[in-house]
Amino acid sequence: MLVIRPLLESDLDDLYLMAQNAGKGLTTLPADRDLLERKINHTRETFNQRCAPEAGLYLFALEDTELKQCVGISGIQARVGLDEVFYNYRLSVTVNASREMGVHVRTPTLHLSNDMTDTSEICSLLLSDSHRGGGNGLLLSRCRFLYLDSFRKHFSEKVFAEMRGVSDKQGRSPLWDALGSQFFDMEFSEADMLSGLGNKSFIAELMPKYPIYVPMLPDAARAVIGLVHDNTAPALKMLQAEGFNFNGLVDIFDGGPVVEAFVHNIRTVRESVHRHVLISRKPVDLDVATSERVMIANQSFRDFRVTTIPAHCIGPDTVTVPREVADVLLVESGDQVRLAPLKDAGPQALAASEESKEPGRAGRFHRDRAD
Amino acid sequence: MWLVRPVEAGDLQGVLSISGEQGARLSSTLPKQEEAVAAKIEHSIRSFAGKLRGGESARYLFVLENTDTGAIHGAAGIDAKAGNGQPFYNYRRDALIHASHELGVSRRVEVLYPSHALTDMTQLCAFAIDPALKGKAPFELLARARLLFVAENRERFSSRMVVEIQGVQTADGRVPFWDSLGRHFFNMDFDTADKHSGLLSKTFIAELMPPNPIYVTMLTAAAQEALGRPHELSVPSFELLQQEGFQPGCYMDIFDAGPVLEARTDSLRTVVTSHRSVLHAAHGEDGETCLISAGQDGDFRCTLTTLGETLKNEVKVPVKTWQALARSAGDEVRIAPL
Repeated sequence: MLVIRPLLESDLDDLYLMAQNAGKGLTTLPADRDLLERKINHTRETFNQRCAPEAGLYLFALEDTELKQCVGISGIQARVGLDEVFYNYRLSVTVNASREMGVHVRTPTLHLSNDMTDTSEICSLLLSDSHRGGGNGLLLSRCRFLYLDSFRKHFSEKVFAEMRGVSDKQGRSPLWDALGSQFFDMEFSEADMLSGLGNKSFIAELMPKYPIYVPMLPDAARAVIGLVHDNTAPALKMLQAEGFNFNGLVDIFDGGPVVEAFVHNIRTVRESVHRHVLISRKPVDLDVATSERVMIANQSFRDFRVTTIPAHCIGPDTVTVPREVADVLLVESGDQVRLAPLKDAGPQALAASEESKEPGRAGRFHRDRAD
Repeated sequence: MWLVRPVEAGDLQGVLSISGEQGARLSSTLPKQEEAVAAKIEHSIRSFAGKLRGGESARYLFVLENTDTGAIHGAAGIDAKAGNGQPFYNYRRDALIHASHELGVSRRVEVLYPSHALTDMTQLCAFAIDPALKGKAPFELLARARLLFVAENRERFSSRMVVEIQGVQTADGRVPFWDSLGRHFFNMDFDTADKHSGLLSKTFIAELMPPNPIYVTMLTAAAQEALGRPHELSVPSFELLQQEGFQPGCYMDIFDAGPVLEARTDSLRTVVTSHRSVLHAAHGEDGETCLISAGQDGDFRCTLTTLGETLKNEVKVPVKTWQALARSAGDEVRIAPL
């Protein structure tokens, strides 16, 4: 069984291996053992509520319970830009107009901004190659929205994600070459690596503070502003399906877009339902297609758990799960759990929900399926 | 004989023919359009006559006349206050050090800042001359006659003076700095913008430029190359003005990045070396050639003359010089060596 749980000290080896295999581009999770250990410790402090809420770092592990191995990770940073400065470029427009001269020219302009300061960020998503497919990436990403909504007071109303921008196979970024490198004599891959080690704001402080007029950049650099790396396109699509939108901010290094959404508007949150657990004595066939699975999450801040079950387990008031699922979720009969669709296509077997006493919520599932 | 004198209403066609010969020059204050030239002449006449309207600042325009033919071969102006009551735009080339203690790095970053610092300084402007005369004596006469006028009327001008020198332009008329910067905000080439500039004011165009500083490194290589460099046709003026005491500093034109030269008015060679003398007749045309001027306002005249012997405050010059200056024995003149 695959289950989401808070990251533990014992995950360090697995995490280090994953980070090594991920290569460049995952700036929030570099293959640096000491750094990863610090991140795990930070996460433990956070889940144990031993650090200030705004300093929280929530890293979740995807554990394969048979292998007893961490095979994926995803995270939420409670607030960005509080102990260091968080920089983006805002892609805005400067209009130059003169009626006398018949001039009305719009010039895209990059303004350095700290607009995301004090906002929650979803970050650090990584899944090992061995577990790609089967909705595991979706589970890793979407479980965070359930957590964000369940514990809203720990997070900002709005949540954002920085998407990786365009770079080539050699790790060269056209925007960095045209802009960043002019101010900071360094290859993109090196700057990117330094960012991951927590030096991003130092680098940012060397970047230009005055607006950059986009037409003055070479074509190759202009073309990638606001675009994502090919490898990141599926992640962007997934976030867009959740209701995340480009907010006009781009990464100061590679020009990758920032997408954001209000937590209450995130589709997973809107379409989630609550049910009471009913532990079944009869065996339940858990082995169904991804499209027929739904996420099921407990309500624990410290021991948050999420796994997937067949959608047909959902009843009008209850959700029927076998003992082993209840055990990994740390729930007993009668405990409340939260359920949400895993796939964009929506679950097939929600007949029971249609008879739900909560037609509003069930209806959301239903509408999704009609889409 | 070559004579520099204040422009008159009848010089309109002559000035137009001179301004038409100049290359495209957005920032020249000598316009090409008849209407604009007529207005400029009219303003100059009122400036010399001391009949400025409220709020107007003095703008003097001189012409270079061949007294034998009566033809106009050049024009040169002085604006008592750069910007003429409006902001006078330049870029100031400056540097920032982007440094990080944490990362142990530091980098010099050059920035062009929009600046109005030179506003209200006296500006030499509107210089245009028959190309056949470039580098010859009448060229120096036209350029420096203005400074004799300044020396004669020192109180009308500010303590610092500036001159804009035309910037780099390629043989096909492209201006690299404009193409790299201004063009993006106007969506028009330099020539088109130049035409607008003739009809509207330079300040008007400048106000449409981006108000934020520009990183030099964001400019094309050709534009960076052009920063503070004079057009090759402007090199004679550039050199003459440097001999006069003007120096290029950190200011440059916002359209073509041509250098803006600056000088302290009281240190200018013509101001320092010129002196007043009383006019007397010389019999021959021997002696060294120098600049001679007479008159303070609309009667100002300046020409080249041979200088006979000099006694105390008296100079002996040929009678034809008297005639050109419309002066006679005993009148005061001002002399400056070439």
